Amino acid sequence: MDYHLGEDADNLRQRLRTLMATHLPPGFLGAFTHDPEDLATTQVFCKTLAAEGLLTLSWPTEYGGGGASVWEQTVLREEMWAHHEPRGAQYMGVNWVGPAIMRYGTDAQKEQHLTAISSGDVIWCQGFSEPEAGSDLASMRTRAVRDGDGWVVNGQKIWTSYASMASWCVLATATATADGGRGRHTLFLIPTDRAGITVRPIKSMLGPHHLNEVFLDDVRVTQADVLGEVGGGWQVIRDALAFERVGIARYARCESLLERLRSELGDEFDDLPESLRVRWMRALIDLRVARLLAYHAVSLQNDPGATVAASSARIAATSCDQSVAELLFDVLGPSALDSGPDASLDGAIDDHWRYAQAATVASGTIEVQRMLIAHAILGGR
Amino acid sequence: METALPEHITDFGSVAAGRLGTLGGPQAALLAESDRRLRDRAAAALRDLGAFDLDVRSSYDELMAAAALCRAAGATLLPYPVVEELLALDGARLALVDPRAPRVDHGDLAGPWRLAGLDGALYTATMGPAVAGSGGHAKLGPFTVIAHRLENAGAIPLSDVMLHLILTSWRLLGAVERAETITRAHVQARAQFGKPLSDFQTVRFRMADTSVALRGLEELAKFTLSRWTAAPSAVGWTDAVMLKIQAADTGITLMRTCHQLLGALGFCDESDISVIDRHIQPALRSPESAAALTVRLLPSLTAGDVQTLFSTPEGTRS
Repeated sequence: MDYHLGEDADNLRQRLRTLMATHLPPGFLGAFTHDPEDLATTQVFCKTLAAEGLLTLSWPTEYGGGGASVWEQTVLREEMWAHHEPRGAQYMGVNWVGPAIMRYGTDAQKEQHLTAISSGDVIWCQGFSEPEAGSDLASMRTRAVRDGDGWVVNGQKIWTSYASMASWCVLATATATADGGRGRHTLFLIPTDRAGITVRPIKSMLGPHHLNEVFLDDVRVTQADVLGEVGGGWQVIRDALAFERVGIARYARCESLLERLRSELGDEFDDLPESLRVRWMRALIDLRVARLLAYHAVSLQNDPGATVAASSARIAATSCDQSVAELLFDVLGPSALDSGPDASLDGAIDDHWRYAQAATVASGTIEVQRMLIAHAILGGR
Repeated sequence: METALPEHITDFGSVAAGRLGTLGGPQAALLAESDRRLRDRAAAALRDLGAFDLDVRSSYDELMAAAALCRAAGATLLPYPVVEELLALDGARLALVDPRAPRVDHGDLAGPWRLAGLDGALYTATMGPAVAGSGGHAKLGPFTVIAHRLENAGAIPLSDVMLHLILTSWRLLGAVERAETITRAHVQARAQFGKPLSDFQTVRFRMADTSVALRGLEELAKFTLSRWTAAPSAVGWTDAVMLKIQAADTGITLMRTCHQLLGALGFCDESDISVIDRHIQPALRSPESAAALTVRLLPSLTAGDVQTLFSTPEGTRS
């Protein structure tokens, strides 16, 4: 057994930390703020990463990527999330939209989109969830109805992250069969300024830009917009979710925040009540376990057990995210409610607590993860 | 990175589980409470496997084999102090104890013993009586005796203490894996309200959480084993205690789940779950509880000896 990520991965970690220390302003909390400068920072940083060949590190070399090992990709995930995802909204395009286009896109789609994504020029959003189809994507109601040589789309998407800043959307629809029966799913790649699309931000405790509604009123799409096969959208969605299988490296930000707060507290750390320091110690054990479960899931790659391993890693990481959020709040007491640059860790603790509330909901709820594991170990539903 | 045990080690673990399994598993462990010969057979089986020839202190390959063996001993609930024998000092079994309340699992077995505290202090001691006193075997830890007349006998390297914690955790891992397997089979076979228990979502979710906890313990056990070195360090010591805390907490939580899902059946002496739970109590609670071990680690927390992605690398702290 050898738990070293490898020299290339170690070097990459240091290189990324140096880049972030150089290019990110103090107190940077990501693109999901009210300050437009933060969005601008992420756009500039993506250009920097692209210039360094790091934005599409995980892509195959034939598409201009770095052909990185899974462990280098792991380091990239950890460092980006630990430092408040300075790729901002590019995260989605790089992590799964691009790879999905590589696998299912036409030559024209590859030419149009891959270079734009790899150079950090375009922001994508994912039009999957609907008011009546959250975890149960198969019951989506947004319809694409045949009209001439294309389709007309009507429906509504919700919880769509980045939609207010995105210029392109991967839109999931139910396409009606020729006899008008229940449709199968089809994905379309459409610009968000196409006629009939309206985006409405949803204010939430998570902060700006996280949640949006997207209304689709008689939006025209064509065969050229289809990603994959007509009616073959479910396969693309499943693959897209697989690209994101292990999920966000939440443990990395938690470890970072705990280390930063310990440093900020200095000698006062030992003055904390023993009960809090005990919880802190337990949190570090749980975080180590979450990290190791993630590494295990990554190591399995295409093994049949990888899905269950990934669900296990997600449950561990999202649970840690929320327990660490509570721990950090309890350590700070009432001052934990302070936000902004004068707050502890420049407001990172308030930011973490708010975002952690969504950890067990976003990208597949913790209940869905449990259902997947239960199906694997017990069979049945 | 390679997170899997080498194939020859997993093969050895399978052979060990097969050989130790022939003794009868938890039901044999139950009989061993009243028939000492079963523990003699356990020792013979370990000897057949070459367990007592493993050099866990200086060969990493043999340490991994020892970990696989301890897991197999846990899975078969072997009624024998395998960890204490693997770490024997000059032929004397080594038990890790709290010197303030020294209890030794299987301390009634013939042969010399040495006791060590978590700080490495070494003791000679007189064994007996059983924790149940003259009233017969205790339900919890039925082979446990109280040690008396502790006398200082020097010290052992902290690396030995770390090995004790690590190998005990591997033994607990095997035992709770067996308990999970038994419980999984039970909820699939037992029908209530016209359907198997495993069709109820609350049962499914509880089993899913149990699976996550088990896999997490397995990964932590492998990771900690991979980092052990004969030259003890503050970070290595912290690693080993972290694993023991997690093994104890996972074991206690998992056994609670097993009892809940087996219902009254799980409390009966004839139930394997009952035997497992009663027999692993000493390993769960000794040398100190998970809560006490966590408090013991607080200075390590202050000193930055808990390694994370963002801690200062060992050896570079001022």
